[in-house]
Amino acid sequence: MQQHSDIRDAEAHKLPFLGDKAPALPFPLSICFVSSLLLPNSSLSLQEPLSALAAEYQSGSPILLQKIKLLSDQYAAIRRTRGDGNCFFRSFMFAYLEHILQTQDRTEVDRVKLNVEECRKTLQSLGYADFTFEDFFALFLEQLDNALQGNDDSISHEELVTRSRDQSVSDYIVMFFRFVTSGEIRKRSAFFEPFILGLTNATVEQFCKSSVEPMGEESDHVHITALSDALGVPIRVVYLDRSSCDTGEVAVNHHDFVPASDGNPAKVAEGTTKPFVTLLYRPGHYDILYPK
Amino acid sequence: MTSSSATARKALSKIACNRLQKELVEWQVNPPAGFKHKVTDNLQRWVIEVIGAPGTLYANDTYQLQVDFPEHYPMEAPQVIFLHPAPLHPHIYSNGHICLDILYDSWSPAMTVSSVCISILSMLSSSTVKQRPEDNDRYVKNCRNGRSPKETRWWFHDDKV
Repeated sequence: MQQHSDIRDAEAHKLPFLGDKAPALPFPLSICFVSSLLLPNSSLSLQEPLSALAAEYQSGSPILLQKIKLLSDQYAAIRRTRGDGNCFFRSFMFAYLEHILQTQDRTEVDRVKLNVEECRKTLQSLGYADFTFEDFFALFLEQLDNALQGNDDSISHEELVTRSRDQSVSDYIVMFFRFVTSGEIRKRSAFFEPFILGLTNATVEQFCKSSVEPMGEESDHVHITALSDALGVPIRVVYLDRSSCDTGEVAVNHHDFVPASDGNPAKVAEGTTKPFVTLLYRPGHYDILYPK
Repeated sequence: MTSSSATARKALSKIACNRLQKELVEWQVNPPAGFKHKVTDNLQRWVIEVIGAPGTLYANDTYQLQVDFPEHYPMEAPQVIFLHPAPLHPHIYSNGHICLDILYDSWSPAMTVSSVCISILSMLSSSTVKQRPEDNDRYVKNCRNGRSPKETRWWFHDDKV
């Protein structure tokens, strides 16, 4: 048995896909990248200069190399997350908590906490039993408080990295975001339904049960929109793929997910013109980008 | 996925223990219709009696489900099998293993023992024929040495039954 798992480990290193789950579909929907700096058991890498990204494509597509060059005008570094299907949520978790830790923005913490309480009410009104989600909520709120300095249990940046790599914290926060996302989609099912129908032929209920709530299910624009709206946190996603304009000109596209304020500006974080969470999307995978 | 039969034997984590105590209380207040849980002092293994729903092929039949909780429940799915004799059903093997996606890949911590029980009863109720899966003998033979169903790579090809 040991021998088998050794072989499997060796195989896993050879393949560009490193995930806990086998792809459920016969075509490779997920192309997750393994970094030399991303340890096999780690869910989050060190911060790396953007040149590390270019090195990855050295012998690859010239369009991608051109785009990475363009990216390096605006972005200084990348931090990779494990390609286990939770990469969007894990990237968001780290980028958001790191922002709080670095800015010490108490107004933002208070604001997001109000939205978390709204999410709790949403789940309750949708019929979720409190015990199914309360531990996950408590752990996220604890991380928020710990990111603020001046308390006995305040944490350093190093500790934030450690916790984000510790499954017993990291996975629980990922699951917290999955609850929040699912609650938002169900609450506004009429809004999300057409987008979901565009992705699968599932109902909103089925989509949440099969593509949002289980760990390891990959995120799409539906998940990002819902999470951004629910927490009131804008998210920028920068797309790195082989596409180019008809004219042959190469440009790096991005999309800003700007939460709806529902007529209440206090619901949304500041920085809607330039979101403080920036993620890099390569087909099937999200990492964190650091602006210059 | 790591070897689940090994993790199933590990003691429950503190989070798992708290969660299960809450689930137990909720079950006692509001048990799902058609199920009886014989409460013991073993929080990590629940044995639950299932009564076939009226008007279905399994009406009045009684079966027993064994639910084992892993160390990291609810992040990891519980292991759910039927004790002998398992109901004759196209998705239930004679060794008690159940081919149901929510017990494996589609498990979510948002689910509970109670919601799993309801899904299993619904799977029983929608069956139109009392028979074993086509590959029963081959599968059961491959599962000797007490292999956990969580180590099986399942194909969920049929969502009608």
